[in-house]
Amino acid sequence: MSEQSREKGPVLSGPPLARTIGAVNWRGLWTLYVREVTRFYKVGTQTLAAPVVTTLLFFVIFNVALGGDARVIGDLSFAVFLAPGLIMMSILQNSFANTSSSILVSKVQGNIVDVLMPPLSPAELTFGFVAGGVTRGVLVGLATGAAMWVFVDLQIHHPVAILFHAVAASTMLSLLGLVGGIWAEKFDHIAAMTNFVVVPLSFLSGTFYSIGRLPEGWQDVARFNPFFYAIDGFRYGFIDQLDSALWLSVTVMIVINAALFALVYRLFATGYKLKS
Amino acid sequence: MSEGIWRERPRVRRFGAINGRGLATFYRREVHRGFKIWGITLAAPSIRALLFAGVFALVVGASGKVVLGMPFLEFLVPGLIAVAILERTFESAAFSMVYDKTEGIFGDLATAPLTPAELVLAYAGSSVTGGLIVGTVVWAVLLPFGGQVPVAPFTLAYFAIAGALIIALFSQIAGLWAPKWDYLAGVQTFIFLPFVFLSGVFFSLDQLPAALQPWARANPVFYIVDGVRFGITGRGDADPLIGVIVTMGCIGVLAAISYRLFAIGYRVKS
Repeated sequence: MSEQSREKGPVLSGPPLARTIGAVNWRGLWTLYVREVTRFYKVGTQTLAAPVVTTLLFFVIFNVALGGDARVIGDLSFAVFLAPGLIMMSILQNSFANTSSSILVSKVQGNIVDVLMPPLSPAELTFGFVAGGVTRGVLVGLATGAAMWVFVDLQIHHPVAILFHAVAASTMLSLLGLVGGIWAEKFDHIAAMTNFVVVPLSFLSGTFYSIGRLPEGWQDVARFNPFFYAIDGFRYGFIDQLDSALWLSVTVMIVINAALFALVYRLFATGYKLKS
Repeated sequence: MSEGIWRERPRVRRFGAINGRGLATFYRREVHRGFKIWGITLAAPSIRALLFAGVFALVVGASGKVVLGMPFLEFLVPGLIAVAILERTFESAAFSMVYDKTEGIFGDLATAPLTPAELVLAYAGSSVTGGLIVGTVVWAVLLPFGGQVPVAPFTLAYFAIAGALIIALFSQIAGLWAPKWDYLAGVQTFIFLPFVFLSGVFFSLDQLPAALQPWARANPVFYIVDGVRFGITGRGDADPLIGVIVTMGCIGVLAAISYRLFAIGYRVKS
């Protein structure tokens, strides 16, 4: 039908057609994703530049405090060991921050309904938010990685392992951020979750040390920390050595992500603390 | 007859040289505000300090690293206490001001019968109080992990209070300037954190490359951290006397700036 004939026709030639959505609402998913990315990109100084500065500060203080190049873990300089861990730490913290703040801000401002009303299934909501969190995590990882490159001779041994663990870890934390954001009622709750869960788990994950250095009993405890596998597998891509095994870290990532996905799906489906 | 409804005719309230009641009210409000969520204000810095101590202890391990003539942890703990004090102090006045700005009640300051000097004093007093409370808690928490009873309590008290005061005044200036949260977060990440982290909390300045040492000595936070460390352990990088001069100078300059900003109503009266 040409533009002209439409104008000349009757106002409504029949009842308005219901919009048909296939198995996946691609346009809705894409809109949610763009919204999530725009959210953090608009304040890029805070969401992209700030983590780079913080991570570099950590890098400097640990290197200076612990004696610079003289310090070696295995046959590596401490700096080469430390850099991938710090990159991963910034990926983890930023993915978490992205999804948790998005949900919570919407809840506090009362516009969460704009996310729940559109024809998006629980699975689509989850994917949309997680894709936003992963995008931020990976961008922050790239930015901190580039900044580190200036100071450390990082080598890429296994690009696939790096990519897999970066994406899997930011997915894990984006999902965790969704759980946190849905559960939290106030900003204090998210601050508590960041301070008492995310930061301790990432500090004690082997970012700063090889867990072989831990006392026997604590090594077993450390192996229950999923962040450990994220960092261990990611670092393997750069230094070609792991504390655990590659198959194990890949399995842990997949299992945890599947479990968290199921949980978030359930939360969106039941509308826990979202629809009342 | 309109006289009848007044038990006593309203009078103009008179203030002495200082509006003591207003000052106390404002001070209480600011302190109370920070500690309403004490789970975050007290527990979070304690956990962070413990994490830093734990991670450094693990990495340094049994290597017996000695800094400034003391075991590494003993060296580190006073620095962590200083960081906890300074972070809390920075987050008090500035955050409360920007919050009031977003709520649109910051203008109330302009109408309250408080002089600029009283505002500076009330904000600074409450920030310093908060910082010292957090510092004491973190000190107690770290006591079993390389902490110790202060060797020179008066030096410690001076540097803890003076250091907190410097950051409290800085925080006021940042809070007055920042129109939104983003700006404040920017000040925190790009100015406050680098100054604090590179101040010798985690390392002695001798460990820095020689070319950087003069720069590190130009950082006022270095003298705060070093003074706190001297107060607790009795050892430091710099002469505490220089630290006293530097901190006094900083307090004078920052107080003057903050006073001036309140006096002209910078971003309060527009």
